[in-house]
Amino acid sequence: MRRNDSFSLLLEFVLAALFLSVSASAQQKSVVLRGGKLLTVTHGTIENGVLIIENGKIAALGPASSVKIPKDARVIDVSGMTVYPGLIDSETQLGLTEIQAEEMTNDFIEPSDEIMPHMHVYDAFHAESELIPVTRYNGITNAIVAPGSRDTLPGQDSFVQLAGKVQGDFLLVRDIAMPLNFSGEQRRNQGGFERRKFPSTRMGLAAQLRQTFLDAQDYAQKWAEYERKKAEYEKPNSQTAAKTDSSKPDDKENLKKQPPLPPKRDLKLEALLPYLQGKKLVVLGTEEANDLQAAVNLAREFNLHFVLNHISHSQSALDYVASLHVPVIVGPIYEDPKPEERYDAVYSLPAQLNKRGVKIVFASYDAHNARNLPYQAGFATAFGLPHDEALKAITINAAEIWGVADSLGSLDVGKTANVVVANGDPLDLKTDVKQVFIEGKEIPMKDRQTELRDRYWNQ
Amino acid sequence: MFLRFRVFRVQAAAIWVVMLAASGLAQDSSQTAHNDVVIRNAVIMTATHGNIANGSVYIKDGKIAAVGKDVSAPASATVIDAGGKYLTPGIIDSHSHIALDGDVNEATSPITPHMMMIDAFDYQDKAIYHGLAGGVTTSLLLHGSANMIGGQAIVIKHKYGANRDAMLFPGAPRSIKFASGENPKRVYGSKDQLPSTRMGNFEVQREALVQAQDYMREWDAYNAKIKSGDKDATPPKHDLKMEALADVLRGKLLVQIHCYRADEMLTEIAMAKEFGYKLRAFHHALEAYKVADQLAAAGVGIATFSDWWGFKQEAWDAIPWNAVIAMRKGVKVAIKSDSEDFARRLNQEAAKTMRYGGATEQEALQMITLNAAWIIGVEDRVGSIDVGKDADLVIWDGYPLSSYGVPNKVFIDGDLYFDRSLPGFGMPHYKEGM
Repeated sequence: MRRNDSFSLLLEFVLAALFLSVSASAQQKSVVLRGGKLLTVTHGTIENGVLIIENGKIAALGPASSVKIPKDARVIDVSGMTVYPGLIDSETQLGLTEIQAEEMTNDFIEPSDEIMPHMHVYDAFHAESELIPVTRYNGITNAIVAPGSRDTLPGQDSFVQLAGKVQGDFLLVRDIAMPLNFSGEQRRNQGGFERRKFPSTRMGLAAQLRQTFLDAQDYAQKWAEYERKKAEYEKPNSQTAAKTDSSKPDDKENLKKQPPLPPKRDLKLEALLPYLQGKKLVVLGTEEANDLQAAVNLAREFNLHFVLNHISHSQSALDYVASLHVPVIVGPIYEDPKPEERYDAVYSLPAQLNKRGVKIVFASYDAHNARNLPYQAGFATAFGLPHDEALKAITINAAEIWGVADSLGSLDVGKTANVVVANGDPLDLKTDVKQVFIEGKEIPMKDRQTELRDRYWNQ
Repeated sequence: MFLRFRVFRVQAAAIWVVMLAASGLAQDSSQTAHNDVVIRNAVIMTATHGNIANGSVYIKDGKIAAVGKDVSAPASATVIDAGGKYLTPGIIDSHSHIALDGDVNEATSPITPHMMMIDAFDYQDKAIYHGLAGGVTTSLLLHGSANMIGGQAIVIKHKYGANRDAMLFPGAPRSIKFASGENPKRVYGSKDQLPSTRMGNFEVQREALVQAQDYMREWDAYNAKIKSGDKDATPPKHDLKMEALADVLRGKLLVQIHCYRADEMLTEIAMAKEFGYKLRAFHHALEAYKVADQLAAAGVGIATFSDWWGFKQEAWDAIPWNAVIAMRKGVKVAIKSDSEDFARRLNQEAAKTMRYGGATEQEALQMITLNAAWIIGVEDRVGSIDVGKDADLVIWDGYPLSSYGVPNKVFIDGDLYFDRSLPGFGMPHYKEGM
């Protein structure tokens, strides 16, 4: 069978080199999507448009008549197709689960304590998850990965892109934000009084949060104090003084001039500092109006920079929400209404918020079903949300909230080429996504499910 | 997502108090009045013979009396102008556990065919209303899947605000729920009981069926003695559990089997053949696409999800093309909810089959109407807009097989039960506190 090992090795090497150079040149080559309907999100719709991808970025776009196509470009005819920016899911558990009922495949939450801000989802994020190709197959290119919501402070979110060679390629922004959940779900009140433990009430949860934030502030102060002393010690004149002192070992002054000892590091409190300093975003998760207002008051008490999450049953407080001038991750709108609510109380929430000028985004709050994100946005339009606002809520609004609007969220020159080509309205169920580009690369439109389909379809 | 596991949560049946208190309420007279209604100016999606643009339906005495471009109706009939909106048959959910107040599983023994879901029916559950507002007019309320052989289902119409018995689908055939796979394994395995494996599952089922055969033989022998004039013959014991299983073997019950994996579907088909009963449908059936030819040959339908997957090991091979592959190979396919949430938007779930596999509009619609009616055994009564069928109809805002379709009005037996334009809950027959 094997003729000549060294020969075949050489052949393989040559072929590999040839392949690499070909694919490398293909990478360099511009890709042109010609003839499609471009939904730019930021500057309207361009019929019969041209979009040029170069070096992973959108190099040009506009009406076919006005965009010059480079000579050696690879031109893909997308006439009859819709072209839109990659969709952004503002809360998922992608990479934290594989088979939900199989506990060993889940990394959602650390239930041992309510205060776990030092949990980082990037430590668990499984880039090889079979769920990721399934999700991006439907045009979702980026997502916030968040821990579960059973803890008040369950850990920190990461912002990911759904493609890459290794985990690091996926994790675009680590610790981008921190959820703070206050919905009653976090109470440790299961199984009767004898099994309860602190905090089993909202009072307990709030007191615990306050104490934690105060501890973190004290901790910050201790470090500030240390830094101040250290700086003083390292000042050139104080060092000279120290040298002089060292000549007199018995001098009491000598002890005072020892370098200061750093405080003991506390990862839990350390994790909270950027949030208490208002440098990073807190995602305030509540459901009902009373919890919403309690949580907002607490966030204000500590000057947290926050966005709202869920607020599914806060219909009575929407004017209040608008008065806060913060964005809302709304839903999921499939949340069942309360018995006293009309059937469409939650369905209509996005429209009601939009009407009040609140910036909204959608999230799947799911892993396996994250692919259905665009349909939630579409369904919200049936209850009054304008279609362009619904699309914004899974593109540019999300990019803005997460601080990545300079590179994502719309079809604009200079942005990362996360681009979707589909045969229709991005928000409709019947629309078939034909091609997804992430960082300008054509993503193979294959996943575990298409492979099973192809294996059995014509059997 | 956790809804799937809800069926194992046993709750107290506090609703009995409410039901007893409410049973004295008089039925709203408008629900029994003989309706005489014409719906005009609709795009009628018949589910059997295509669409009729600018069509009309004449409803008399709760039935569809005429359908077409022009229908003749008495001048006295109430006219409803659909304003060019779509009109479809009422949606049918062939797998639901709503309105049972948590009493879904008698998870204390793997064989409980004598459990009657009617005994747990909570007719005041708001989930009935939520489904109604999503266009659902008929649902099959099934026992859960903790047991290999669970209980006997009921078929309801979503007449929210009517009394308990008025919600039951008159004359609907009896269905019984079987299960297989992970759920019985987990429920009894966690108690260190049989069954805790798939071997145990099927053994328990086979054992029960053998007992039922013995039971039938005892009664046959007794009846033969009586017939031959033996007045001293002592009758065998009446056994509810065995009676129910005997009815399975006599073909008096539609057998609905919760089943995910392909191999288990084939085993169930073989066992049905061995014991001489017929299967109506596999529920969930997420691997039906692997054995669709065998299902078609056995005449077994499926009631499946559109794209739900990965929530447990036996759902790992689920693909969204399942429904259409099975349909193309000759299997009767319904899309069902198995969830309070999906029950509110089955139209969207059906629409996904147009994308995944290219079902036609009518095929997609049939999966939540006519085919679902077939699974339940009421396909001659509901599930399409044809003369003689119950006037269970939905007028839609937007195109129903899209993200944008929302029921505007829902009629059951010709009566208006839901109207989106009404304030409050949007239900003309319902008052808070009923």
